[in-house]
Amino acid sequence: MTTSFPWGDIASLRIRSRLVAEGVYAGAHRSARRGSGIEFGGHREYVAGDDLRWLDRRALLRHGRHLVRQFETETDRALRLVVDASASMGYRGSRAPETKLGVASLLAAALARIAVASGDPIGLAYLGGGSARPVALSGGREAFDRLLGSLENAKAEGDAVRDPEMLERSFGVLERAARRGSVVIVLSDLLDLPRDTAEHFSAMAARGRSVVVVQVLAPDEIDLPFDGTVRLRALEGDVVVETDTAVARDAYLAALRGLAAHYETTLMARGARFLRVSTADDPVASVRAIVGAVR
Amino acid sequence: MSFVTIFALGIAAFIALPILAHRLRRRRAEERAFPAAALVPPAPPRARRRAKLEDRALFGVRALAIAALALLGASPLVRCTRLSLSRSSGASMAVAIVIDDSMSMRAKAGNQTRFARAKAAASELLAGTRDGDAVGVVLAGSPPRVALAPTTELDAVSSVISSTTESDRATDLDGAIHLAETLLAALPQVDKRVVVLSDLADGKPDAPALGENAVVPIWAPLAEIRDTKETDCAITSADDTGGRVIVRLVCGKDVSASGRRVEVRAGERVVGSGTATTTTDLSVDVTGVTPGEALTAHLLGGDAIATDDVAPVLVSQSGAIGVVAEAADETAVTGGPPVVEQAFAALRSDLATRPLPAVPDQPGDFHGFFGLVVDDPPGFTPEQRRALSQYLEGGGVMLVALGPRASAAPLGATLQPLLDHATTWSEAKSKGAKPDADAVLLGEATRSLVDLGAAKRTTLSPADVGSVENLVAWSDGAPLVARRVIGRGEAWIVTLPFALDASDLPLRPAFIALLDAFVATTHTHAAPRRADVGATWTLPSGASAAKGPSGAIDLVREGGRAKLSPPVVGAYHVTIDGKDELRVAAPIARETDLRPRALKSQEASSHLGATQAQVDISPYVAVALLLLLFAELALRLRAGQSPGEKMIG
Repeated sequence: MTTSFPWGDIASLRIRSRLVAEGVYAGAHRSARRGSGIEFGGHREYVAGDDLRWLDRRALLRHGRHLVRQFETETDRALRLVVDASASMGYRGSRAPETKLGVASLLAAALARIAVASGDPIGLAYLGGGSARPVALSGGREAFDRLLGSLENAKAEGDAVRDPEMLERSFGVLERAARRGSVVIVLSDLLDLPRDTAEHFSAMAARGRSVVVVQVLAPDEIDLPFDGTVRLRALEGDVVVETDTAVARDAYLAALRGLAAHYETTLMARGARFLRVSTADDPVASVRAIVGAVR
Repeated sequence: MSFVTIFALGIAAFIALPILAHRLRRRRAEERAFPAAALVPPAPPRARRRAKLEDRALFGVRALAIAALALLGASPLVRCTRLSLSRSSGASMAVAIVIDDSMSMRAKAGNQTRFARAKAAASELLAGTRDGDAVGVVLAGSPPRVALAPTTELDAVSSVISSTTESDRATDLDGAIHLAETLLAALPQVDKRVVVLSDLADGKPDAPALGENAVVPIWAPLAEIRDTKETDCAITSADDTGGRVIVRLVCGKDVSASGRRVEVRAGERVVGSGTATTTTDLSVDVTGVTPGEALTAHLLGGDAIATDDVAPVLVSQSGAIGVVAEAADETAVTGGPPVVEQAFAALRSDLATRPLPAVPDQPGDFHGFFGLVVDDPPGFTPEQRRALSQYLEGGGVMLVALGPRASAAPLGATLQPLLDHATTWSEAKSKGAKPDADAVLLGEATRSLVDLGAAKRTTLSPADVGSVENLVAWSDGAPLVARRVIGRGEAWIVTLPFALDASDLPLRPAFIALLDAFVATTHTHAAPRRADVGATWTLPSGASAAKGPSGAIDLVREGGRAKLSPPVVGAYHVTIDGKDELRVAAPIARETDLRPRALKSQEASSHLGATQAQVDISPYVAVALLLLLFAELALRLRAGQSPGEKMIG
């Protein structure tokens, strides 16, 4: 299902994220949202004082015993969003409606809205972003408003090539603050990041945290559509490459696949998930895929 | 520049087409921002190769061919910076090119000498001449010489111009221009011109402006070689006076050699040195010199002309005229030396006069005497005759006055080697000399002998008359003054004694003229070992070879005598009768004055010529184009590709 949105300057991130979130709701069963955070954990014998609401009447009729249903409730299902706001995320390409940072912000806002609606606290951190202000973990509408404000003001700045400590500054704090059961969603193009970034992400998946790394790429980055000889200048670092795209396309796509395979392999080894979305994709489908990837 | 020229030159713009096409093909690719650039491999070699120039040689040949084509179209109107003559009409013209080959032209004008620039200018002028033009070449080094009389054979002119060489002669611009005008006078061309290629530094900057009263228009281009900032000093003489070398320095106007160092060298070894002062003569003590070792004097410090800063050192040689006369025999006592000695003193000759008691009878006694004057000798003894023979054979000059004593020579004493027979002292048959006889020797003074008063005179035997050259004759044709050449020397015979009681000859102006001519002859025979460069040396007939600073020099034979005109300063070795003689050609002082002479204003005007000329270079361009086409064909054959397959890019 595809939804049309007033992109860009027409609609605010708040409206667009609400629409995306509602689209996610519409595609899902509402019942599935009941008891969110509560999972069935088995039976045990009734003892005095137990809440009678959890007395299993069917078991009583079947077995003649008083059994109560036992549930496991997550202690913290906080959503921690990590948005890559380095310079490369400012790329839009010729076929995308929005920059990669814009799309990542929209996806982050929609995910935050879903989390807030579920009563879960949300937090926001950046990779790069210069003056972009992270949002501390908190719940409720105010937290969502702060997150929106932060995302709306974020600009694509920072160079991960020249500033290799950028990743450590963001993930060092996050790794210490995220509790067991936290959901960490990273929205990044994964370009120009240090080679051991995948290990950093996978390390987050330890201690019961759910990590989803979403690679956000522009369509031009996915298929290299240029013709003839071009000089390509990276937005981070000093890389300038003059190439004949007809000849170099296959090698580029192979390198891109290799990068994705590296992240996927590394992340899956620790239970994390890897997704790739295009900035030209339907954001509802993208959010739905992300939500579906959260374990 | 006409439209045609502009259009033709516009063809050259087509050179830009292949370059532009290539640049378009190999221009830098459009730069795009692309975050994943690090994953994109760089251009493979195939792509880079496509952007390269495939055949630079072929591209270069074709670009040159287009340029040549453009020049070919515009060549008749291409202007080159070079001298050219302006033609007042379309008819042919007669041109005399005066090339200054004097020493001052050795000075530098830019990166070449003034002479080299003048020579190049002559070639430029010649390139602008047409068929039918008559061109002559005159050299302005003193004495002015006609290198080539005006001719329409321009190849011959070119050959002469290219063969002219620098010299150290003085400058004689007036003479050279006069000579050039004379050469042009007889030519039928209406448009005549004298082109003076000179620095105009003839040492006479205050003389009347050059070109005044000129019959033929004179054009003197090459203003760039008349640089008055250059200065020069020269060594005009260096004489070894026995352990001390006297070096004479001369400099241009308001220029001083003061402070400049002078070295005397034996080969490369410095045997003495000194520093020049304000005086012109510098005395340099020399030590450690082997007798007979050749020395040279060097003026250090450098100036405009280098060749005049070196001079060979000559051993100083003083000369004199020996006089054998007895004043006691004269009845007209003057109270002083004999009349002939007093006459020599009146000449103020540079040669000293030394009285001798008798004619020397030993050859060694003649040493130092350039000339010998004997008044009425009573014959010569055998010893005297032998010594005299050697003296005269070796180049000595003798003036003998024959009188009564000569005619009354004692037994055993004869007048040999001057005369083979005895003379007679007898009554004079005629009075005075022929008024027009041999005016060359005595000039106008001959007329003073017309009424010469002499009661008696000496008469030569007919056999002797036939063996002498009659310089001045009596009115009856008998010799009054005769000359007999003996070996390299000569003897002048006067048939009157110098005593006043015998005749009034000593009182006549012709007598002084006679002695003056005799002194001049002694100078010639004394072989002055140093003379001005360019001056003609008259050598004895026995002279067989000469070698100067620039190698062997051919001797010119005239009237049985050899002549040599040294073109450059320095030492010359002349072989005379198998013996080597050292002579020196010295620089001329006024050549050190590099100030140009004034030039009549119109002689530099542009109506006579221009420094820029329209040159038709199309033949050369056409040949170049043809060669380029051949080159292209060769390149294609080498590449083994069909035409049009290989261009560029």
